[in-house]
Amino acid sequence: MAAGVAAWLPFARAAAIGWMPVASAPMPVPPKDKRRAKDGLIVLNVSGTKFQTWRNTLERYPDTLLGSTERDFFYHEESNEYFFDRDPDIFRHILNFYRTGKLHYPRHECISAYDEELAFFGIIPEIIGDCCYEEYKDRRRENQERIQDDEEIDQSNDMVQQDMTFRESMWRAFENPHTSTMALVFYYVTGFFIAVSVLANVVETVPCGTAPNRVKEVSCGERYALAFFCLDTACVMIFTVEYLLRLLAAPSRYKFVKSVMSIIDVVAIMPYYIGLVMTDNEDVSGAFVTLRVFRVFRIFKFSRHSAGLRILGYTLKSCASELGFLLFSLTMAIIIFATVMFYAEKGSSGSKFTSIPAAFWYTIVTMTTLGYGDMVPKTIIGKIFGSICSLSGVLVIALPVPVIVSNFSRIYHQSQRAEKRRAQKKTRLARIRAVKSGGANAYLQYKRNGLLIDADEEAGQALVCKTNPTFDIQHHHLLHCLEKTTNHEFVDEKTYEESCMEVSMVKQTSRSSSISSSPHGLTCCSRRKRKSFNVPNSNMSVGLQGSVQELSTIQIRERPISNSRSSLNAKFEETVPLNCDQPYITAAVISMPTPPVTTPEGDESASSTDYSQANIVRVSAL
Amino acid sequence: MLYFLGYPQNGHRRGVRARLMRLFPCSTAKKPSASNQNSVEDELELSAVRHRPEGLEQLEAQTRFSRKELQILYRGFKNECPSGVVNEDTFKDIYAQFFPQGDASTYAHFLFNAFDTDHNGSVSFEDFVMGLSILLRGTVQEKLNWAFNLYDINKDGYITKEEMLDIMKAIYDMMGKCTYPVLKEETPRQHVEIFFQKMDKNKDGVVTIDEFIDCCQNDENIMRSMHLFENVI
Repeated sequence: MAAGVAAWLPFARAAAIGWMPVASAPMPVPPKDKRRAKDGLIVLNVSGTKFQTWRNTLERYPDTLLGSTERDFFYHEESNEYFFDRDPDIFRHILNFYRTGKLHYPRHECISAYDEELAFFGIIPEIIGDCCYEEYKDRRRENQERIQDDEEIDQSNDMVQQDMTFRESMWRAFENPHTSTMALVFYYVTGFFIAVSVLANVVETVPCGTAPNRVKEVSCGERYALAFFCLDTACVMIFTVEYLLRLLAAPSRYKFVKSVMSIIDVVAIMPYYIGLVMTDNEDVSGAFVTLRVFRVFRIFKFSRHSAGLRILGYTLKSCASELGFLLFSLTMAIIIFATVMFYAEKGSSGSKFTSIPAAFWYTIVTMTTLGYGDMVPKTIIGKIFGSICSLSGVLVIALPVPVIVSNFSRIYHQSQRAEKRRAQKKTRLARIRAVKSGGANAYLQYKRNGLLIDADEEAGQALVCKTNPTFDIQHHHLLHCLEKTTNHEFVDEKTYEESCMEVSMVKQTSRSSSISSSPHGLTCCSRRKRKSFNVPNSNMSVGLQGSVQELSTIQIRERPISNSRSSLNAKFEETVPLNCDQPYITAAVISMPTPPVTTPEGDESASSTDYSQANIVRVSAL
Repeated sequence: MLYFLGYPQNGHRRGVRARLMRLFPCSTAKKPSASNQNSVEDELELSAVRHRPEGLEQLEAQTRFSRKELQILYRGFKNECPSGVVNEDTFKDIYAQFFPQGDASTYAHFLFNAFDTDHNGSVSFEDFVMGLSILLRGTVQEKLNWAFNLYDINKDGYITKEEMLDIMKAIYDMMGKCTYPVLKEETPRQHVEIFFQKMDKNKDGVVTIDEFIDCCQNDENIMRSMHLFENVI
């Protein structure tokens, strides 16, 4: 809760007088106000810059350094001030937090310096206000990533080997060749063989001089067919072994098989095996030749070795829609200009523009300013449109490229930001919820603590004063007054749901029964409830059963009113809390449940028990 | 080039004139003064809600707080509301922070109306401190009067069952959902019935101020609880 509203707590407590006339139960005694020290000015000297503020301002946050007695360690007697040897610029923000309740993050400060100051003064960064929170988180994440990257590089170099299984170490060796010598050797060997294979593919098409008994030149591949075949076999064997080893070592085989690199691997070695299988069939040898083209995919295996290739691939993939648009607009322009050129050149004799698709080639060559010159317009109007085509070609191609680049950068950052915002929104909502439930939980915790401290008061008093500052005590007293006014208690979600469930079960078991058999249901309900509320009802009395019986017979027997705390803490709540979902018809069992007198005031309890007794009598007579 | 394609002539002329006009800004047509006035007034309104309270001596005379107490109160008040007045939304926000489990906005609305004695939609420091003076330093009679005023939503001098039901529902809303025992629909109504049974002596369906004060003075629990918060400041 923002402690700015701590100043309004007196108002809220005063306004609670509005509940008094309608209260169903007497109010708890207010907490004793410790005699507060006179509010005075405190001088804080931070490396020479003097700050002054009221003592109350600092004490709004008693769990920080400045708000607690920890600041006494920094008290400087000679100059009657508190001296801190820290950065005054950042301290300004910290002091503003005390003043306004909002912590801001200055954008020009280094994130780690700021974090250190916050840690020194005992302020958790999670309370940074919403205006600065995103920026703070971004900077923090950047910093952490940077640290993490450095750490990873260091870490991977000296990670202990024997912790992992052989399979894991093999996978790590494959993924990161710098981990061990074997991995490095393997990396270079495969790289070498990829290069050799690609080179062989290239060289085997080079004309190699004429064979002795032939006229035309043959390619090297045909001349030294056996040598190339052996080379090919060797390469494919290495690739196959590598693929199988990777498959074996992969932590998730299914994911590995689906990944792009493994598909490239498979495509690179498949043609060889297919070729092995169907060498003799003449019909499909044409298709087989085509398959050899796929051998060039081996060059993509280099992307494992080069990070740059991977980044390029990722860039193209993420920019696909922009590229698609470029292609589409180009296609439009090509079609338009090809049509125009075709009709313009239709008249001239011997023109190469035989059809519109034939004119496509001219348009593409002209628009990309290649200008081969194999097709040129001959008519004047053709030349005019040809020049328009080349001019617009420059524009059409030059314009989208920066747009694509900037689009790519913008979309990339936007998606990052959207992700960031989604993650931060979740965190922010969680923070708000945590603060809310923290406030509520603090009260429930205080109640439980209060009950436990009841039991042994000696240790209790000191403990309470230390853990709960004044504001919290007063706030809890206020909530307690509200409970008394409405005769209901705050509970946490779990207990609430349990009570809902039990009530519905009771409803089912005793719906059609008469009043005489209802104690059975009540007993079940109450017994079950006794199990769940262990902590608050730790000193629940044997009067429990008694009270249930009493209500069922519509006669109130006088309960022994003693001053022993155990019986006073008897809960009256086994009177059926009615079904949360549907109204429960049996009227005789309706009662206004009264909460137990559990607070440490002994003097009021007797009268309140009377009061609650009277309450029960009145209500169950309905 | 577009002009060659047969652009309409008047548009062409208009374009030239507009371009000429841009060269001589002072000759542009005068904007209607009324709209200028409105915008200035709007700006004033946005920044104008600033309230300075009466002097310290006056407040000291009107309320039962000491000078130092008034200083502390004002500092807290101004810290949370730098403009010097609280409007209803801020009031609801502040009050809701004390009751995280439930919904305090309805009750805060009634409370706001009780503090806003001149019904101008905002609670100034004077209203605030007068109300607190009654609640913390007033006689029992004054406190009961204030409570009656709170319950009497339409300020007609009578508390009807409907008004009381609204107030009761608002109080129960502050408890929230997770209570033990579970809140039922008719709990506020029953509570109202009990209240009326106690307070409405002549059974005419409304509670007047005299009935209210009489009945409260006879109830020792209520009397005792009136003195509960006297040492809050």
